[in-house]
Amino acid sequence: MRQPGIYSGILSSGRKEPHSLPLARIKKIMKRSGDDVKMISGEAPIVFAKACELFIEELARRSWNVAVQGKRRTLHREDVASAVAATEVFDFLVGLVADDDHNNGGGGGGGASRSNSANSSAGGALN
Amino acid sequence: MADSTNHHHLGGASTSGGGGGDDGGGGGWSREQAERLLPIANVGRIMKQILPPNAKVSKEAKETMQECVSEFISFVTSEASEKCRKERRKTVNGDDVCWAMGSLGFDDYASPLRRYLHRYREVEGERSTAGGNNNQGGGGGGGGGRRYEHDDDPAGGGGGGGGPSSFKFDGI
Repeated sequence: MRQPGIYSGILSSGRKEPHSLPLARIKKIMKRSGDDVKMISGEAPIVFAKACELFIEELARRSWNVAVQGKRRTLHREDVASAVAATEVFDFLVGLVADDDHNNGGGGGGGASRSNSANSSAGGALN
Repeated sequence: MADSTNHHHLGGASTSGGGGGDDGGGGGWSREQAERLLPIANVGRIMKQILPPNAKVSKEAKETMQECVSEFISFVTSEASEKCRKERRKTVNGDDVCWAMGSLGFDDYASPLRRYLHRYREVEGERSTAGGNNNQGGGGGGGGGRRYEHDDDPAGGGGGGGGPSSFKFDGI
């Protein structure tokens, strides 16, 4: 018995393949996040695939609002930076989208801000 | 389903062979950088799906988004991993990821993700019992699917708000 679009109720489009982001790549990125990340269950990248969709959608939407305010129809990097600056939950990205990181891709700066903002926004979750 | 520390697919080389790697977005990223980013085509597609049809997205905006998503993954994974470390567990699972989202302020994601995860587990549990692949043993479907450690989301248990849970499992 065929199960049509198992995840189609949740994804924005009922494609045949359930995930719009490559799980193997997600897993690689997870592993790079720290030395103490050793084992990852099979379902974790699947949860992230969905989470990343939600994240991209939210950041894109907010960035678009900035562009519209500027009477533009093309999303630029600066719009993303503005959206990050205006959204508290995106504080961990502030170092990453700053203009002086433009050429480098900002790997180091983003890492430093990650732990700081985790403490400030999560209210001691790491304590 | 835990995984070992060794990459079980080819390590090192990107799938696109030589050059900067299409995955990372062409001239912008080196191959090494491309591996730490999600493919620009996928990222761009998700952006386009949420924006109005007349919207355009610059290449650098897509590249910025790639960076942000990878940072997001790292950020949440670190938090989830820390929790596992404190609880002396070796494997970061889906529940840890959901918990970390909530902990870091992504409350709007945590609930839908929990439902998504629970539904995924139901599907996997059905598959393994129905297909004769009896790792979980009997117990009427979903015997393997209930082992999650947190269930503090009341909507995540059964009906899930009357959405997609009503389809697909009847009559299997």
